[in-house]
Amino acid sequence: MDLLSDKWIVNVVLCLLFVGVSSNSVEKKIYIELNETFPCVRLLNATHQIGCQSSLSGDVGVLHLLESEENLDWVLRSGPNPPYMVILESMLFTRSILMKLKNGSSRVAGVLAVQPTSNPPEGFSPHTSCPNENTGVYSETYGPSYAHCNVTTWNPLGTGISYEEFDFPIFSVKDDNDTEVIRRCYMEHNRAVNGSSPQYPLCAMQLMSHMAAVTDTATCMRRNAPTVSLTQDFVCDPLGDSNIWAFTKPLNNSVKGHKEGVSVVIAAAKMDSRSFFFDVAPGADSCATGLVALLAAANALRNATAELNRTILYTFFNGETFDYIGSSRMVYDMANNDFTVDLDNIHSVLEVGQVALGSDSRLWLHSDPVSKRNSSINVEVQTLVSNLQSAAAGLSLSLEEPNVTQPLPPSSFQRFLLKQQIPGVVIENHQASFTNKYYQSMFDNADYLKLNYPLNLTVEEQLEVVTDAAKALTEVATAVARGLYLQAGGEPAQMNRIQADSELVSKMLYTFLVRVNNSWFDQLVHADGTGILKNRPTNFYIGVAGQYVSEPFLIVQYILANLTGSIVNITKDICQNKKKDDNDIMNKDIYSYLWVQGPLRPNSTERESFCVRSTVRQSPALSPAFELEEYTSKNYSTWAESRWSSIKGRIFLVASHDLEMLTLGVGVGVLLMSLLLTYIVSSKADILFSSGREPTNATY
Amino acid sequence: MAPEGGFAFLPFLWLVNVVWFFREAFVKPAYTEQLQIKTYVQRSAVGLLLWVAVLTTWITIYQHFRAQWGEVGDSLSFTIPRGTP
Repeated sequence: MDLLSDKWIVNVVLCLLFVGVSSNSVEKKIYIELNETFPCVRLLNATHQIGCQSSLSGDVGVLHLLESEENLDWVLRSGPNPPYMVILESMLFTRSILMKLKNGSSRVAGVLAVQPTSNPPEGFSPHTSCPNENTGVYSETYGPSYAHCNVTTWNPLGTGISYEEFDFPIFSVKDDNDTEVIRRCYMEHNRAVNGSSPQYPLCAMQLMSHMAAVTDTATCMRRNAPTVSLTQDFVCDPLGDSNIWAFTKPLNNSVKGHKEGVSVVIAAAKMDSRSFFFDVAPGADSCATGLVALLAAANALRNATAELNRTILYTFFNGETFDYIGSSRMVYDMANNDFTVDLDNIHSVLEVGQVALGSDSRLWLHSDPVSKRNSSINVEVQTLVSNLQSAAAGLSLSLEEPNVTQPLPPSSFQRFLLKQQIPGVVIENHQASFTNKYYQSMFDNADYLKLNYPLNLTVEEQLEVVTDAAKALTEVATAVARGLYLQAGGEPAQMNRIQADSELVSKMLYTFLVRVNNSWFDQLVHADGTGILKNRPTNFYIGVAGQYVSEPFLIVQYILANLTGSIVNITKDICQNKKKDDNDIMNKDIYSYLWVQGPLRPNSTERESFCVRSTVRQSPALSPAFELEEYTSKNYSTWAESRWSSIKGRIFLVASHDLEMLTLGVGVGVLLMSLLLTYIVSSKADILFSSGREPTNATY
Repeated sequence: MAPEGGFAFLPFLWLVNVVWFFREAFVKPAYTEQLQIKTYVQRSAVGLLLWVAVLTTWITIYQHFRAQWGEVGDSLSFTIPRGTP
């Protein structure tokens, strides 16, 4: 008996080994996984939910490649195998088609949008036509004739689909080999030949992007902390990151509130963008041009700041796309004496918006007509405008004021005006409506700015190329720098020695818009940061407030520190504050210290690292609505992002529903039949299994 | 098994009572204690029906209207489904 059980054990173990090794092959034969997908996720604010939702285990639909808008009839009405998973080629990803799919959503299982290889020439903007219209300064009480884009529609190409709600998943894929597989699967199995309906088995796709949060931010924040619950199961997170700022004069940052005798000129730019799809935000003109121009201007003014009598505060606001998260928070902090300076210290504001130069090389200086009715503010604004115009005098671009009375475009400066009347100017490349045809879309990329690098160059060689766009942006940065110099009290005669560096501008544009992981930025960042850097353009989406460091934050912080700070000769341990700083030579309240990798030593993999001392600091860019827990606030941004468990897609062949039911029926029938048979056999067992043995009590 | 158990809050016990003691109370030929058992089974049946009615009504109302009750609905719930209102 022992020998028998040993054999059984060995057999069972061998079988398990076999099963364990080859257990997934059946799944791989059925499903083809989609490798790189960009989903559309759900965002919530005080009143609405936007974005896409799938069912808990994913939505399955028969593939259909949409040929034209008329072909939608097959999906919505005449197709015999609903629900359909619609594949949209790039030119069909329009508002009218998406709205029709939304209305017929009982027959639509999902949408797969194929990204085109080049930008659509007619333009595409999924954002609203009047960005941030409810959280700007213009309202019923302030310039009511200017509110809600009454005078100028800023984003006329805006279709608003980013702010619609869809109850099916929408994914985006690049047009590569995987997408060819999908198209081939459709061509082989799903095409209707000669008017007859396609026969099963059909090619189907399953998209899973189940979002946990519903209704609005108040509901999801309430469900984050339920009264009775065993586990802490979050459903959503508020959008947020950090603002980055730096004073040109050293100020004590631990003493908050008003600072006597300090007059600040704020130089602002925004550092975030978005698109319809999650984590896709190239933001070239809508974000990167202004950002790079201000960074280059800060570098140009590096050696000139000592002689200025006003302090310049370079501020980079995060989250401006979502109802001014960063700027509303900074203004809130200033008003509550929670910032190094307060609103009374601010002399004026200069904001750098979208500054990609068109062929006419004209930039426009926008200002607020309502505050200019006050003559003292008007005088200051005119001074700022004339400073900027004289700054651009020797350069190849022109700075002009728009010739009609119109409100400020969507800009962080509006949040400052909400609290206090401050003179300010916003520099943009559009006189009235945006010239950016791809505002807040995935097409606002290096191609749009004509950042063309010859393909046969390596990354190293591409870094050295100074494109025309970089040269134009350098002119803008020089104008901004000289304008700030004059505004902060600099000598006009000394103005022309301030010049932005075109190689620096070019390298920054390359880092933000082509490839983050390059040798130039590698030198400027610390060793642990290199893990975050990817081989693709920067993703400017703000993301959720968390403990991790986001890519744009890391890049802007280290670039600003290296470009405005100075190298100090201290060891790594003291720089990173691991060892005690005796004699307090570091003044941590005034300066911040970053340990930077530095360049590679020649013929070696070692780096010459050093410590950079700068005034670069950060403050949280989390909407005051979340600090005050007013989740239905109309005054502050209430945007939150839903959580999800997994996002994936796969394609496979499906059999007809009738075949599935038949298989199930046959299986159930076999079960009942075998039960019946067993019962019959066991009740007649003595008759069936009699062995014909003679009765044992037979006696001879 | 005690057919007289519970004061007001044991509907499952009463269900068991009705099912288990039905044969004893109504089918078997009469014996002395049967009258007592019969009354208890009847009372259990009445209580059970009352509870079924109340619970069915409450469960239907809750499942239908919880989403519309907003904060009140959430505070009444132990687990709230993710992804649906």
